Amino acid sequence: MEIKLTWTNPTNREQQQVRGSLPIALGRDLEEMPAEIDGKPVSRIVLENGQISRFHLLLTKSDAGVIVSDRSKNGTYLNGQRFHQIEQPVVSGDRLQVGACNIMLAWLSVPPIDATQVVALPSAIGATDPNATNIYQEEIIEQAEPSISSAVTLSTTIIFNPETDNPEPYQPLEILPTLDQFPPPQLFSEPFVSVQAIHATGKPVEELDYVALGGGLGSFAWVDSLRVYGVKPGRIAVLGLEKKPYGRYKKLCRNSQIPLHERIRSGSDSCPDNLWGWPGYALREAWSDGLSGHVSSALKHLWKVFAEPAFADTYTPRAGRVFDSLDREAERIGWDGMTRYGRIRAIRKTEDGRYCIAYTVPTRQGNRDHRFLLARYVHLATGYPAVRFLPDLQKFRIETGDFQTVVNAYEDHENIYQHLEKKGGTVVVRGRGIVASRIIQRLNELHQRNPKVNVVHLMRSPKKEGYRYGFAKRAIRNQWEFQPYNWPKATWGGDMRKQLEAAGPQERYELLKAWGGTTTAERHDWQDIVQDGLQSGWYKIEFGSVERVERSNSGKLLTYINSNNRDVQIKIEGDFIIDSTGLEAKPQDNPLLADLLEQYKVPLNPLGRLEVENDFEMKAMRNGKGRMYAAGVLTLGGPYAAVDTFLGLQYCAQRSVYGLAKARAKGIRYLNGLGSFWQWTKWATNQAP
Amino acid sequence: MTPTLFGRWQTRCFLLATIGVLVSLPFAFGTLSGWGEPELGPAYFWVLLYVGIFGLGWDILYDFLQRFMWDHDWPGAFQFLAAIAEGVFLGLVILLFGLPHLPSDSFHPLWFIIHYTTVSVIVYHLSWTVMRLLFPRWRLKGGEWLGTWKTAGR
Repeated sequence: MEIKLTWTNPTNREQQQVRGSLPIALGRDLEEMPAEIDGKPVSRIVLENGQISRFHLLLTKSDAGVIVSDRSKNGTYLNGQRFHQIEQPVVSGDRLQVGACNIMLAWLSVPPIDATQVVALPSAIGATDPNATNIYQEEIIEQAEPSISSAVTLSTTIIFNPETDNPEPYQPLEILPTLDQFPPPQLFSEPFVSVQAIHATGKPVEELDYVALGGGLGSFAWVDSLRVYGVKPGRIAVLGLEKKPYGRYKKLCRNSQIPLHERIRSGSDSCPDNLWGWPGYALREAWSDGLSGHVSSALKHLWKVFAEPAFADTYTPRAGRVFDSLDREAERIGWDGMTRYGRIRAIRKTEDGRYCIAYTVPTRQGNRDHRFLLARYVHLATGYPAVRFLPDLQKFRIETGDFQTVVNAYEDHENIYQHLEKKGGTVVVRGRGIVASRIIQRLNELHQRNPKVNVVHLMRSPKKEGYRYGFAKRAIRNQWEFQPYNWPKATWGGDMRKQLEAAGPQERYELLKAWGGTTTAERHDWQDIVQDGLQSGWYKIEFGSVERVERSNSGKLLTYINSNNRDVQIKIEGDFIIDSTGLEAKPQDNPLLADLLEQYKVPLNPLGRLEVENDFEMKAMRNGKGRMYAAGVLTLGGPYAAVDTFLGLQYCAQRSVYGLAKARAKGIRYLNGLGSFWQWTKWATNQAP
Repeated sequence: MTPTLFGRWQTRCFLLATIGVLVSLPFAFGTLSGWGEPELGPAYFWVLLYVGIFGLGWDILYDFLQRFMWDHDWPGAFQFLAAIAEGVFLGLVILLFGLPHLPSDSFHPLWFIIHYTTVSVIVYHLSWTVMRLLFPRWRLKGGEWLGTWKTAGR
């Protein structure tokens, strides 16, 4: 007999549905649930929610009907009545409260034949226990494959919620909307889709020339270039989840301790609001400082731009100013009129040389509107699919359900700093890049106010020397390696850029390795903080590889590390652990891209990201006159190094739009000479391009 | 600035040929030149030409020195110092040896310095501004304003 369980995911409020035949086990930990009972394979459902016990309940068939037996620590509610460690009979329509999930039960007498009604399951059930997959017939699993995410296999990534764009501490079950399968699987199972069939679905279809997918800074750079090169706003659409182009970027900045008044690691002429790069942020800040009377700070900014990096620290703009300038430019190019809020579900080529994009828009009633976009030129810049987490920390979090004391720097963890300010404590920091340095800076500020704040910085191994390339070397001081930006400056537009572009795939891999690595900005004020910390002892550095993280009896976090030269295991005790190892960028972590990779066999470059041409076109997606471009961190490993930067996204946008101009795409003019100067004056006087 | 060698050459030639010539006109046609030396006029254009010719060689040296910086960049401060060095070098060469069309005996150090400084300062500032506005992809190609981007891969 088949049972259907339906509930609303408490985090993203998406309705979820699972069907299975008895016996069914429900819990938090796959390992804790039995794989077999009385010779019958058990369908195990995993809900990753701290309030659910590892093995919470079991639904079995009895002579009288269906029985639910509670195996949890704190009990379950059946139609509002609590029961604990006993068995209860249940009927179709009953509601079980399991942790924060309110699950409705329904009996189904006929096993499913129609694949379209079936919903994707956590792949662990298919992956680790093939016998228990009597829930689905074989072909159904195949169908649901692209949208299955590894909900239970201990993966080290945190996904950005596909509806709210917040980094989620645990993997939500990647489940398609229940009653309405979208995009229509029969239609979208073919590599080419007919436009009549799209129209025949009856859903709203919009036809345009240019579509930017992502809605973030990558899309903004492309759309800004398109507008300046002559395209009218009515022919462009932007699909994404954030209202502002810098929405996600700003959230990540705030979480990783870069408030609006702090400076970001970016150059003066990396102006995402101005594709000419002049006037740079240094000039603008000097101008406004001078006008408001702060002449000496104005001169300081100008001196930095003149003498950087040889005789002065590199100039960097304040985050707030960058966002304000983006607001102005967004308004100027009519960004709001071009954006459409929605979650992108799939991309397919059409038979007439265009692309069809299926997307859903959540409505207020909790349903979803389904829509289609048809366009000839598509730009993909969906950004980092996930936030990376060190495996030992992720394991700790899933096992203990504690997401407050062990955090990733990109998650909101303000609670830690508030606790430290009031009561002090020890923080273990992992990672040695720019984010770690920001965390240390914040912790220093707290230490100044509360001397009981201590920091233990855990690094894998000591670094004596910085990277070498040619005649030059990077500087190292106190175990931190320095570089003004996240790549050497010439990779943006100098000889290194030329060199990388001309290199073959293997050579590109080598060059990126030689120029990359974890670094932080060479700020003298920050270096003094570290020096002072080491000397007075509130900042310590430890080396070794982590074996495991546990909670001690007194409530502290214990990190066991294996030291490198001695066979000794060291125990580091702390109140909090902050993982600042960064963001993850495997295209497969994004279901949209995973689907695209599979359907069109899009090749990956040696770094495992999307392979692109020199002008960032995805050759595998070429469709007659239609072209698809990719930008941002998903393209690292190709012809360009600094893909994940403001100027890098503008470079990608310019290359792509220039290529479209050469291909005589609709509405694009060349931008050069006096025409370019004229567009710049329009920018300066804040007129639409 | 992160120029390539070709970018340096192209930018130098462009700026000297346009801005350099424009700025030298008032010097050449007597508005600002030395009194009583009308034949000094064309000398300013010859100076420009030699700045260009020697500059091609200087640029090779700068490109080499640039590799000692990890970022392979050429800070504005270096560009400033380089302009001074080039000027001093050119002045000494003309003074000591003379050049074709620039005999050493008719060398006026003061006017040379004024002319050279004016051209340098204006070219320096415009290289940071006007080049970017007229050639939007110039700074992304290492200073090469000629030529198109190759779209095809390796």
